[in-house]
Amino acid sequence: MKTLSANPVPRRRILLLILSALLLTILLCSLTFLRFSSQLYVKRSPNTFVGDEKYKTVRQEVELQLEDFRTQGTDAVIEEQVIERVNSKNETTSLVIFTICAANSRSGWNLLSAGLPSSYLLALILVLSAAAWLLTLCSSFSGNRALGIASFAFSLAAFFLIPVIFNRLNLDLSRTAALAQSGGDTAALDRLRPALDRFLFGSTAGDQLDSMLSALKYNICAAPFLLLLPAFITVCASVLAACRPLKKTLLRVALYVSVILFSLFILYPFFVMFITAFRSNTETTDMYFLRILPSRWVFSNLGDILKRNVLRYLGNSLLISGGATIIALLCGIPAAYAMARMDFRGKKAYLGFVIMSQMFSPVVLLVGISRLMNTLHLNDTLMGLMFINAAFNQAFAIWLLRGTFVSISSEMEQAACIDGCSVLGAMLRILLPMAAPGIVTTLIFVFINAWNEYTVSTVLISTQTNKPITVGITQFSSFNMIEWQYLFAAALLATVPVIILFMLIEKHLAAGLTAGGVKG
Amino acid sequence: MRSVFVRHRWEPYLWILPSILLMLVFVVFPIGIVFRLAFSRISRAGVVGEFIGLKNFQDAVSSTAFPQVMLNTAFWVVSVVGLSTLIGFTCAMVLNQPFRGRKIARSIMVFPWAASLVIQASVWNYIIKMEYGNLNNILLNLGFLQNAVNWRASYQIEFIWECAVGIIVTIPFVTFTVLSGLQSIDASYYEAATVDGAGFWNKLRHVTIPLVKPSLTVSTVLNIIYVFNSFPIIYTITKGAPANKTDTMVTYLYMLAFYDQRKGPATALSVIGFLILCVASGCYMLMTMRKEDSL
Repeated sequence: MKTLSANPVPRRRILLLILSALLLTILLCSLTFLRFSSQLYVKRSPNTFVGDEKYKTVRQEVELQLEDFRTQGTDAVIEEQVIERVNSKNETTSLVIFTICAANSRSGWNLLSAGLPSSYLLALILVLSAAAWLLTLCSSFSGNRALGIASFAFSLAAFFLIPVIFNRLNLDLSRTAALAQSGGDTAALDRLRPALDRFLFGSTAGDQLDSMLSALKYNICAAPFLLLLPAFITVCASVLAACRPLKKTLLRVALYVSVILFSLFILYPFFVMFITAFRSNTETTDMYFLRILPSRWVFSNLGDILKRNVLRYLGNSLLISGGATIIALLCGIPAAYAMARMDFRGKKAYLGFVIMSQMFSPVVLLVGISRLMNTLHLNDTLMGLMFINAAFNQAFAIWLLRGTFVSISSEMEQAACIDGCSVLGAMLRILLPMAAPGIVTTLIFVFINAWNEYTVSTVLISTQTNKPITVGITQFSSFNMIEWQYLFAAALLATVPVIILFMLIEKHLAAGLTAGGVKG
Repeated sequence: MRSVFVRHRWEPYLWILPSILLMLVFVVFPIGIVFRLAFSRISRAGVVGEFIGLKNFQDAVSSTAFPQVMLNTAFWVVSVVGLSTLIGFTCAMVLNQPFRGRKIARSIMVFPWAASLVIQASVWNYIIKMEYGNLNNILLNLGFLQNAVNWRASYQIEFIWECAVGIIVTIPFVTFTVLSGLQSIDASYYEAATVDGAGFWNKLRHVTIPLVKPSLTVSTVLNIIYVFNSFPIIYTITKGAPANKTDTMVTYLYMLAFYDQRKGPATALSVIGFLILCVASGCYMLMTMRKEDSL
C-alpha cells in the first residue's frame, strides 16, 4: 500500500508502457511475416516462337486460366520462359514455358494457426510476454518485488526468443524446399508437410505439394524482428516495476553481456585462425562444404608445415628477437641508469632525442636502411635484423627502464657507494635485482616487437633459409593459390607463445609506457 | 646537484655511449642517407648521381596517385586513431569496474596487441573473402543470409575494412594506457563527487576525463605515429590495389621503392613523411618536456 501512495507516477507510466507494448504486438503480428510466390499452373509449349500463331493461342489459354485464379481471389501473374536450342538438323527450336505464379503473403496470425515449429515458438513468445505484462501489472500494484523479477525474467526470455523464431522460420522453409527439390523423403519432411501445406497453400496443394515447394521463392520480412520493440518496452516496464535494486542488476547484466560480446568479437579472428589451421585443403576453399567447425580435424597440417621450413623460420625469429633483446638491454640499461641517477650536460637533449627516435619508424627509412646494410655487408643476415630491431626499440627500452629506476629510491646504492662499492657494483648488486620486474617487462616487450617485425625483414632478407616466421608464412600465399590451412597453422605456432608472454607483462607494460611519458 | 654516482665529468657519457652508438649507426645514418638520396638523381639500378634539387619531390607530388594516397593516409589516421581512442576509452572504463572475470577479460584484450599484424591481417583477409570467407560461412550457417555476400565489392569498401582492422588492433593499446591512468585516480575524488550529488556523466566530465587526460594524450600522440607508420595491414589485404587507390603513404612508398624501383620519388616521399612525423613528435616532445619541468 505504501508504494501505491508513494509513487503513483511510475505506476501510470508502467500502465502506459504495457498498453503500448500490447498494441504494438497485436499490430506487428498482423503485419506480413513472409512473402512468397508459388506456381499454380505450368504450360509447356514446344516448337513455339514468341509472337507466332501457336504462341498466341497458348497465351490466350493461359490467360483464361489466370482469370479463373483471379476470380477465386488469388493474386497471380504470368511468367514466361523461352528456351531456344539448335537441333541436329541445324534448325532452331524453341520451347516456351508459361507459369502462373501467385504472389502471397502470410502474417503472424497465419503462422500462429499453421502448426509449424516456428508457430509454437511464436505462441511461446506471446504467452511469455502476456505473462510478463500481467506480472508487471500485479507487482506494480502490490509492490511485490519477486513478481517484478519474475516478469523481468519472462520478458527477457521473450526478447531473446525473437531472433530464434526468425531463424527457425527461415530454416523450416529453406530445408523443406531443398528436400522437396532433391526428392528426399525423410520423416522430418513428412511431419512438416501438412503444416506447410496449411500455412502456404491453405491445404489445397494435395499431390502437387512437392513440386510447388521445390519452386518456392520466398522472402522473410522484418516484422518478426520488429517484435523486439514491444519486447524491449516490456523489459523496461518490468524493470520500472521492480524499481531500483533491479535496475542495478540490469546494469550488471548489461555489463556482463557487453563484455562477453566484445570478448567474442576480439577472439573471433583467433578462432578463425585456429579452426582453419586444422581444416583439410578442400574444405578451406569450398563454401558449400564448409561447416562452422572442421568436419574432420586435420592435425597433420602441423606436421606438413614443419616439413616446409617452418621450424627454421621459427628458429630464425627466435635468434633475431633474442639477439635484438640482448643488444637493446646491453645498450639500454647503462643509458637508462645514467639518465636516472646521474646529472650531466646534454641529458635533456639526449632524452629529447630518445623520445623523438621512438617516432621514427623503419618503414619511412626503408631505403636508407637497405643501403646502410649494403655498405655494412649485413644485408640478408640475421645479424643485421638484430641490430635494426635493437636500435628501433632502444627508445622503448630506455624509456621503460628509466621509469623503473627512477621509481626505486637511490639511498641504498648511495650507501653502498660511500662504503666503497664501485658504481657498477652498486648497480649490479642492488639496483638490478630490485628492478627485475621492470627489466623483464622491457625484455619481453622488445622480444615481442622484434618477433612481430615484418617490413624490414621483407626488404632485407631474400635467402629462403634466413627468413623470420612473419616473412616465412607468406610462402603459403602465392599469387594464384593460397594454402590457408598451412598459412594459419604456421601463424598459430607464431602467435601462441607471443600472446602468453604478453599476458605476463601486460600489467607492468601499460603503466610503464605512460608513467614514463607523464612522470619522467 | 652533484650525485655520488658521478666521479668524473665524462663518466655519464661513457654510460650512454653504447646506446648513442647503436642509435647513431642504425637510426641516424639511414635518416642521413634518405635525405641525401632525396636530393640526388638515382638510376633504376640504384646508382646515386648528382644533386638535382627538388626534382624528386616534384616527381613524387605530381604523380597521379599522390592526391588519392594523401587523402587515404589522412582518412586512415583520423578514422583509426579517432575511433580506436573512443572505443578503447570505453573499454578501459568497463575494465576499471570490479566484476567477476575481469582478469580473463584483460587477458583477452591483450590478443590483438600481442599477435603480429601480418598474421591478423591475413586472418581478416580470409574472413572477408566472398567465395569461402569465414564471415559468409558463419552467417549462412546461422541462417542470417540466403546467399553469400560480397564483402569487398569495391575498393572503397575494402579500404574501410582495412581501417576497421586497424581500429581493432589499435584498441588494446589505448585501453591499457588509459586503464593505467584510470587506476591511478584516487577513489576519494569519486567519493567527494558522489557526496556532491554528481551522476555518472558529471563524474565522467569533471573527474575522470581531466585526470586521465595526460595518459590519453600520450596514447593518442603515440597512436598517431604508429598508425601513420602502419604497413602490414594494407600491404596484406589489398597491396594498395587497384592502382594505388587503397594505398597509404607508407605502402605507396614501399611500392615505389621496391616494386617500381623508383627510389628517387620514394625517398622524397620518405622525407615528406619524416617531416610530418617530426612535427607530430615535436609536439609530443614539447608536451612531455613541459610536464617534466612542472614536476
